[in-house]
Amino acid sequence: MGFYDSSKENIFTTALFWGLFWPFFIVTTLPVFGRIFCGICPHGFLGKYITNIGLKKKMPKWMQNRFIGVMLLVIGWWAVYYMFPGVYRTPFGTAMLFTVMTLLAFILYFFYRDMSYCKYICPIGTALRAFGKLSFTSFSTYKSACSSCKSFECAKSCPYGLSPFNFEKKHSMDDCTLCMECTHSCEAVRFTFVKPGYGIYQKFKTLRAEVWVYILILAAIPISMAFSHGLGRSKVADEMIWAKTAAFFQTFIDFGSMNAVGLFAFLYAVLFSAAAAMVGMFIASKILKKEYGTVFYTLGYAFAPLFILASMAHAWEFFFTSNSARIVEGLAWGFGMNIDIDPFAKRGDTWLEVFHIFRWIAVAWAFYILYRRMEYIEASKIRKLLAYPFAGLLIFFFIGVNSYRSYILDTYGRAERSHSEHSMRAKTLFQSVKADEVILLQKGKDAASCAACGMKLSRFYKTNHAAIFHGKERQYCSIHCLTEEKKIKNMNLEQIQVVDTKTLKFIDAKEAFYVLGSTKSATMSEVSKYAFAREKDAQEFVKAFHGEVVDFSEALRVAMKDFEDMKVYKTVDGETPIYFTDKKPFIQKGKMNHSGMGGMMHGRDANRVPSKKVWLVTGDDITHPLCVENIQGRFFVTNVMNEVSIPKVKSKEGCTAISFEMPKSGYYKVYYIAEDEHSVNVAKYEFKRFDHSSDEKYDKEMMRAKTIPEVPFDILRIRSKDETFYSRPTTGEKLQFKVLKDKKPIKDAQVILNTQFGWQKHATTDENGSVSFTLIKDYYPDWDKYNKRFREKYTLTARYKDVEGKVYAMTLQDEFRPSRSEYQSYAYGMLITLLLLIVFGGGIFLYRYRIHKPFKEVRIDDDK
Amino acid sequence: MMINKIFQKIQKADIRKFRFWIQLFLFVIFVYGGYVAIDVGREIPVFSCGYDREAGGVCYFMSLQHQLARPWERLFSGASLGVLSAFGVFILWFIVFNKAWCGYACPLGTMQDWITALRKRLRIPYSTYSEESFKSLKKIKYIFLLIVILFPLLIGAGLLDPEWRGGFCKMCPGRLITPMFVGDFSQWSIDFSSKTAIFLTTFGIAFTVVFFVGSFIKKRFFCFFCPMSAMHYIFSPFALLKLKKDGEKCTKCGDCYRVCDMQIWDIADDVKSRDILRDDCIFCLKCVAACPEEDALQVDIVKWAIFKSTKGGFAKRMGFEDETE
Repeated sequence: MGFYDSSKENIFTTALFWGLFWPFFIVTTLPVFGRIFCGICPHGFLGKYITNIGLKKKMPKWMQNRFIGVMLLVIGWWAVYYMFPGVYRTPFGTAMLFTVMTLLAFILYFFYRDMSYCKYICPIGTALRAFGKLSFTSFSTYKSACSSCKSFECAKSCPYGLSPFNFEKKHSMDDCTLCMECTHSCEAVRFTFVKPGYGIYQKFKTLRAEVWVYILILAAIPISMAFSHGLGRSKVADEMIWAKTAAFFQTFIDFGSMNAVGLFAFLYAVLFSAAAAMVGMFIASKILKKEYGTVFYTLGYAFAPLFILASMAHAWEFFFTSNSARIVEGLAWGFGMNIDIDPFAKRGDTWLEVFHIFRWIAVAWAFYILYRRMEYIEASKIRKLLAYPFAGLLIFFFIGVNSYRSYILDTYGRAERSHSEHSMRAKTLFQSVKADEVILLQKGKDAASCAACGMKLSRFYKTNHAAIFHGKERQYCSIHCLTEEKKIKNMNLEQIQVVDTKTLKFIDAKEAFYVLGSTKSATMSEVSKYAFAREKDAQEFVKAFHGEVVDFSEALRVAMKDFEDMKVYKTVDGETPIYFTDKKPFIQKGKMNHSGMGGMMHGRDANRVPSKKVWLVTGDDITHPLCVENIQGRFFVTNVMNEVSIPKVKSKEGCTAISFEMPKSGYYKVYYIAEDEHSVNVAKYEFKRFDHSSDEKYDKEMMRAKTIPEVPFDILRIRSKDETFYSRPTTGEKLQFKVLKDKKPIKDAQVILNTQFGWQKHATTDENGSVSFTLIKDYYPDWDKYNKRFREKYTLTARYKDVEGKVYAMTLQDEFRPSRSEYQSYAYGMLITLLLLIVFGGGIFLYRYRIHKPFKEVRIDDDK
Repeated sequence: MMINKIFQKIQKADIRKFRFWIQLFLFVIFVYGGYVAIDVGREIPVFSCGYDREAGGVCYFMSLQHQLARPWERLFSGASLGVLSAFGVFILWFIVFNKAWCGYACPLGTMQDWITALRKRLRIPYSTYSEESFKSLKKIKYIFLLIVILFPLLIGAGLLDPEWRGGFCKMCPGRLITPMFVGDFSQWSIDFSSKTAIFLTTFGIAFTVVFFVGSFIKKRFFCFFCPMSAMHYIFSPFALLKLKKDGEKCTKCGDCYRVCDMQIWDIADDVKSRDILRDDCIFCLKCVAACPEEDALQVDIVKWAIFKSTKGGFAKRMGFEDETE
């Protein structure tokens, strides 16, 4: 672009090419107007004049091969793109390519007539011709006018040597570029709108290169992209066949700076796509009892929409997420300004998903074209029906690749991005600096990440802190993480240092000047805190971005506020019960927890096993449970078959969590058991997992409440007779429990029920160890805040002292919902029914009565 | 010869009796199937309501609305396969029988036919729509279809209150009526938990009252508004079962129009179209049975005619068979 050092990657080139040119000029205009791009092509524009003064030779036969152009595009552009992903991102690379192409074009224009370059050599000429078939504009002549005309002025004026008067008959515009030259010589030329893809449903002379354009471009762009950018960025990227092949070849070939994985992804994409198309068509041709070539090139036109619409989905999404902003920024940057624009949408915004629908439209359209093109094959209906799925094998392959990509990304997740390809990059923050400006004080494998939270240090470098713990350096993303280790975890941190926002060097934190509450973004906190070595710098910062200057101890005190809502219980005394909850037990400032599914991964993907996470907590207030630290007991998890296993226990920020997978519908239980010679403490959590999209049957025996031999003391919730997967405890319901000690029911155990809103009820077990509670309604919110699916938590605590004085304590947490009778009214339903019945029934009766009445009156009058 | 005889027999069959028993049988399957562990899936192209806990097969709109209400990032990625496969099953069910689902299988349709039978017993005359009101009323079903498809999508995009989940189901009379057959009256209540819930449940009750009153005085009253009928019509060109008319043999006597429960004018008046199926048609075949012209109307499956209008059949049904033979 010439404004700047052109060998460096810059955002303007990418934005201009991928952000504007690609989505709008190519991907969107093609299916709309067809080859209108050729009309504004600079090569063609100059070519018309060069050809006029040129040698006007006929192009040699070997060059009259459209595959030259196709191969130039697929290999010269796309294969190179995957091998050296950066090359076309620099203005220099792009300029080189265009210079070479321009020179080549001009030489060929000069030698040969009829703009032969456009037809055969231009890399996008054939591609545009092929995809132009889908457009809903048509260019042809008025038949009536042409039938009597013998002058062929139109054909003479056409720079491409075409015969426009034949377009309608051939159902094809051939290589027409919509240059409109012919319109100057004849008025019978017309430009009309037709149904989308109208041309492709007609019978026309098939062109081998066109079908191969569809297949190769589909392979080179959407499928290769899905391989190298979609699957290649998942966490299992190394398991993919192209990665393995690349690794295999890398053992004895040095690829240098070439991206071998990208190259093989591209090669496999081409191989698989071509194989899918060829094998499918071969089988179809056998079924149809037709020649392979005829079948392939007649039906192959069905693949046309796949690439163009899939690209539209991609291009539009990227336009809104980043390119729109990049274009503005790039323009400003070209003129030496530095501005920061927010894109229209964030990546992952739900409404962007609407563009994915283009992919499905593409598939549906492709199947439809295939159905229409089948008309041109003479075979019986049964044969056509059988051949149809085989002929569409490439379409199924395309669906398969797309689904496989979403499956892999959903199941295994996206790998951390290390470099930014395709102009997508994480939004840099005020506190971010480039990787080479970061000073890392800590050593080791994770040196570039925060010692406490694991976030990237470079991204939050300007708020970085560091300290020495037992002789080792620890570096933190912010004062938040430092405070967490120093104050909450009581780690003995020495020589605390902080980054000077101005010089980006570490300074002693105790002598630094902190600016609190400026308008610049904060790291892991609501209040931003930036440190400066000199007071003057701090004051200047305050002038520019507000806030106030304080010292380290004040900054630490403010940082501590982040943790105030997060109370961490240190020890467990004998009296306060321990229980499980599925709600994350502490609330960080500004970060409200979802009151809903707490840790429940709700069947995000049909193939993914749902899991549940529960925390071990304590405290009298169920709504604000406190984490339990210093856990000495054991954990057990049971599955639907009541098989016991030992779960993974994770401790983070002083809280202990257990997560377990729930592959089948049924009851899962988690136990925590702490035992010594004087007491037994048990906490239990029971969860019914039910996936109503599966056909699982409610097996009463399997669902029956059972204990496990590992627990000496247990409470079972006895299932009622008519319980099913759909049943849930509701208010007004009588819940039955049974208390067991060493698997035997015990009498006189104290059982207490506590609900979330403070209702409490005591009971004692009878001879059978049974006890029952009727749940009362104690959820009384304002009407407009009422939630009929509200899950009110309750804990059940059982205590028992045996003859030796050993104390048994046990908790069970569960929840119940408002009963239907709380918010549904039959009375009003009946009232409305009755009212409407009278109104409508009466209305119709009256209407009919009135229609008949005048008739009677006339008769009475007659009698008189 | 044997086949010819069977074919002759079919032509002279009493289509009304045949239809009555098929309807009764399928009504039992769909409404009570759960008692004998019948489950034909959740993609059934008729209003076999899933709120009936013993349903032997569930209306496709229930699962469709449920599936489309997923968050968009899931709907347009992995979950779209689920939507497509369910849709595929729906299409497979549908294309075999075409709109015969309405006339022969729909429990809600069967109920309306029974109400009509009751009305006949009571010797109360029925009503019809005028041509103009017929034309405007029949559009309502497409509005309902839009609600079925668009509202869940809006929920998935986060633009609509999730309380609208299954919005059409809440409005549909099927939800209130079908469960009553297994003794469940719980749907006849107003839900006061939110404004949307109040609206939807009230609408449901009002629509049900209109359903009863309307179908009492107008044959197949609800079917004019049925979004499933609209959905059927979109895919009926691909169906295997076809209702065909030979315009050259038609004398425009109007017998077919008079027997048509759905007041389809084209059946008598249109002599150009070969495929005479219209969006309101319930494929009850009364028109074919009532047609006195040989081969003017016929029912095809793929390309074999299985039921044709014949002089002999007409004569038999009209009770003067002996005279013609």
